[in-house]
Amino acid sequence: MAGPVAGQPAIRLREVSKTFAGAQRVQALGAVTFDVAQGEFTSVLGPSGCGKSTLLRIIAGLISPDGGASVEVMGHPQSAPSDDVGVVFQTHNLLPWLTVEKNIRLAAEVRRLPAAEIERRVASILPVLRLDGFRRAYPHQLSGGMRQRAALGQILVLLPQVLLLDEPFGALDALTRDQLNVELLRLWQELRKTVLLVTHSIPEAVFLSDRVLVMSDRPGRVIEDVPIELPRPRDPQATKERPEFARYVIHLQKLMGVA
Amino acid sequence: MKWREIVEPAIVFVLLALLWEKAVAIFGIKRYLLPPLSEVLATLWQGRAMILREAWITSGEIVLGYFWAILAGLLLGLGIFAWPTMRRTLYPLIVLFQGLPKVALAPLLVIWFGYGLTSKVLMAFLFAFFPVVVATLGGLAGTPDHLLEHFRAIRASPMTTFVRLRIPAALPSILDGCKTAMPLAVIGAIVGEFVASEHGLGHLILEANANAKTDLLFAALIAISILAGVLYVLVELAAKRVWWRAL
Repeated sequence: MAGPVAGQPAIRLREVSKTFAGAQRVQALGAVTFDVAQGEFTSVLGPSGCGKSTLLRIIAGLISPDGGASVEVMGHPQSAPSDDVGVVFQTHNLLPWLTVEKNIRLAAEVRRLPAAEIERRVASILPVLRLDGFRRAYPHQLSGGMRQRAALGQILVLLPQVLLLDEPFGALDALTRDQLNVELLRLWQELRKTVLLVTHSIPEAVFLSDRVLVMSDRPGRVIEDVPIELPRPRDPQATKERPEFARYVIHLQKLMGVA
Repeated sequence: MKWREIVEPAIVFVLLALLWEKAVAIFGIKRYLLPPLSEVLATLWQGRAMILREAWITSGEIVLGYFWAILAGLLLGLGIFAWPTMRRTLYPLIVLFQGLPKVALAPLLVIWFGYGLTSKVLMAFLFAFFPVVVATLGGLAGTPDHLLEHFRAIRASPMTTFVRLRIPAALPSILDGCKTAMPLAVIGAIVGEFVASEHGLGHLILEANANAKTDLLFAALIAISILAGVLYVLVELAAKRVWWRAL
């Protein structure tokens, strides 16, 4: 596997658009151009149906963009899935017939990593995700929050540099969601990954990100790039009480036409 | 809670048995039409050695036919799913064949394979195999898209995806097909025995009928339902090992 190219952005998109052919042609994504620096936490904010998920799938190499687009991840063109990128979706991808531990091992086994290496990775991931006591539990025995953490583990086992998160906590209740967002920040700081998060929650995007990209209605385009200059580490209470926090939220609400 | 699952059906069972026994006496039903239950049970007990022997023969036919039905059903389902050519050519034929009343095939099977075991095994097989094919196909085609995408994301080969995702995801459906197939295999074997045979519970029914031994006929019916019940429970127990349902 090729390593990261020094000085390159983690994600580099140029004129990425996507039109779905079918009974009627639907342009899901306009020409999207942006970079995400290595180690940066970026959120993509937009109304539903604006092509956010399509954008993530393109970056993950799961679908290909229209001709003329350029997609690079860690300095390499991304035309097929690679171990550099891991995606977590709102619907978790845990296999119900496997335990948490076996679900986490799965990707590494599929990639035919040496057994000792798989063992080592799983042993380091379980405590980070606070799933130590649940390695032998099956997905249906877990709470929604634990399931999403296990789903993160399924991806982390391949040690991707870039994490693409498509509303991973979107189906959870507000309280669990806040807790998981705090854990996500801790994880991001510990593992030093690049994170691109798709969400439609404005406070969530502000609280977590270094930068928020606002997308327009379909066909989705980036209409504004908002750097979030709140100090880190961020505390869930203190950060949200800061006057700048409210200002960012209001600014983004205006952009999205909800205020 | 467990005791209710045993006691409640047992009470209903006993009540129905009493109703049978008393109704025959009260309404003066002729014994060749409906013998009292006590008489049927007595016949069942007296003839137990013979009935067990016949039941053993019928079970053999059922189990063999069922085994081949599962094997062929699985292979056909896999094949039709994996090879478009097979889907185009073989699948319509199987569906068409399924429309045939299989009872009508029994005389032909006797001409081809004689009075013995083979024709009955084939009848059990013919009755049982189709639900397995359909369930296998449905299960394999029903793999959730988001899991398939996940396997693409982790760069699993088609073979790995088949073995580690499609097959386990299809198992609940396949086992439903196997459960449906079990009683059908019983019907198949009995129908086979009806058409031409020298042994088995189906043959016993015909013989009892010919000799106006209605009590023996009922005894044979009871034996068949016990046999079918036991076989179904065995399949159900085996199917319990696949406990994942909704994905």
